[in-house]
Amino acid sequence: MRKYIFIFKTTFLESLQYTLNIILGFVSFFVVLFVFLNLWQYIYADSTNLISGYSMEQMIWYVIITEIIFFGTRNRTLTGQMTSDIKSGTIAYNMNKPYNYIYYIVSRHLGEITLRFFLYLGIGILIGYHFVGGLAGFQAVNLILIVPVFLLGTLINSFLRMCISILSFWMEDAGPYHWIYDKIIIVVGTLFPVEMFPDWAQPLIKFSPIYVVTYGPAKLVIDFSMEMLWRVLLAQGIYLGITIIIITVMYQKGVKKLNVNGG
Amino acid sequence: MLTAAKQQGKVLLLSVKYNIMRQMTNRAAFITNITFMILNNATFIIQWMILFHLKEDIGGYHMNDVMVLWGLAASTYGLSHIFFQTAYNLPDLIINGKLDSYLVQPKNVLLGVISSGTNTSAIGDLLYGYLIICIFRFSIVNLLLFTLFSITGALILTAFAILTGSLSFWIVKGDMISGNLHSVLLHFSTYPDGIFKGIIRLLLYTLIPVGLIIYLPVKMILRFDPFTLLLLLGFTVLIIFLAFFVFYKGLRRYSSSNLMSARI
Repeated sequence: MRKYIFIFKTTFLESLQYTLNIILGFVSFFVVLFVFLNLWQYIYADSTNLISGYSMEQMIWYVIITEIIFFGTRNRTLTGQMTSDIKSGTIAYNMNKPYNYIYYIVSRHLGEITLRFFLYLGIGILIGYHFVGGLAGFQAVNLILIVPVFLLGTLINSFLRMCISILSFWMEDAGPYHWIYDKIIIVVGTLFPVEMFPDWAQPLIKFSPIYVVTYGPAKLVIDFSMEMLWRVLLAQGIYLGITIIIITVMYQKGVKKLNVNGG
Repeated sequence: MLTAAKQQGKVLLLSVKYNIMRQMTNRAAFITNITFMILNNATFIIQWMILFHLKEDIGGYHMNDVMVLWGLAASTYGLSHIFFQTAYNLPDLIINGKLDSYLVQPKNVLLGVISSGTNTSAIGDLLYGYLIICIFRFSIVNLLLFTLFSITGALILTAFAILTGSLSFWIVKGDMISGNLHSVLLHFSTYPDGIFKGIIRLLLYTLIPVGLIIYLPVKMILRFDPFTLLLLLGFTVLIIFLAFFVFYKGLRRYSSSNLMSARI
């Protein structure tokens, strides 16, 4: 475990040097939020309306939080870097090292996104306050219970993305599968809470990664309840267990297929 | 003059043909890229179905109108990235001094640069656009207008990429500015202009020309207006000339990095 903490620490310190680049990347995040805020303000023509039990203020904060999760944890290491390691054979160099490649990548990824996540969180909160003001009923003390949910959600999201990247052992390009996963998260997972979907689709969403990666953490921030917290934690525990098993099996099978032509 | 233009057109088509043939060497990846891009775009239909379930009219658009908007955005993007993919990598070529191999070619430098790459998945975008117009608003006239506006949109989009990409001749962080402006343009292009107000709406018809690439053409597909068409064609010609002018003005400042490379 100590070696992974060390990898996390060195990558995090490295990322501090690229703060300006992260800040310049805010433009996309700001534009996406701006478009969604305009969209919801248009839909809630009367701001006192409730849609599927959500006020406009709650809805806008929901979108801000899910977008922070999406943009703040997006990273090339899990997608492009891992795929390229497998395709080019560079993974062979990592396999001989005294660490597990999967956990090495996760530690690096977490080190790279920590600063970015907090910067996005800061700017997201500022945008939220500017557009709709504070979130009614929000209690800062609940954050102690919500932080682990965010952490678990980030871990599950990382493992799911890695499962897709590991497909590169079998196929030429795993990129298109990442597009679909990204779109499912951004289209279905960030713009609407589960309650806004048609009744028949809601159980499907509750069993999908969206529930544990974006909906659960965001819902707990805008409308906290102990019952919801336990439900999300349980779902995250199950998801985490299953994704770790899948990725371990896929990795073990994948490396057996690896051919490296010297060099 | 006409013969030179014809020859240049031929070179452009051949360049794209060979780009695609190169990509097709791995057929499975080629087909997966195109199919998944169509699926990728189709996921947004779910988003709009839910939004229209909540409100019948969004920014003056109904479901079919938004689909036309989406279709046109996809085909415009697709066409531009099939023919002129490298226009979007211009900052990298300028900053790292990789333009040398293009400068020694006997044909137009800018056209040679921008047509030297093709994005395979953009073929999926183009196909998706045509699928959408055929499903949601099919008629021969609409199909012709859709084709015309896909071409004008692709040309404006490419010219915009050249203009912003050429900033790298003067500014060190030009690549970041160019990337951000391009992403702003794409984000706005798939939402109805009616939801934006005030200065933002003005910006969308001027500094960030989404209005001329998408909004006005969609309005013309829904209700044709010859005056707006002339305005659009005039703007397309103007921005193309401006892109050529700015690129060549910037090219005078270009310095090679003595990078040895070959275009295969």
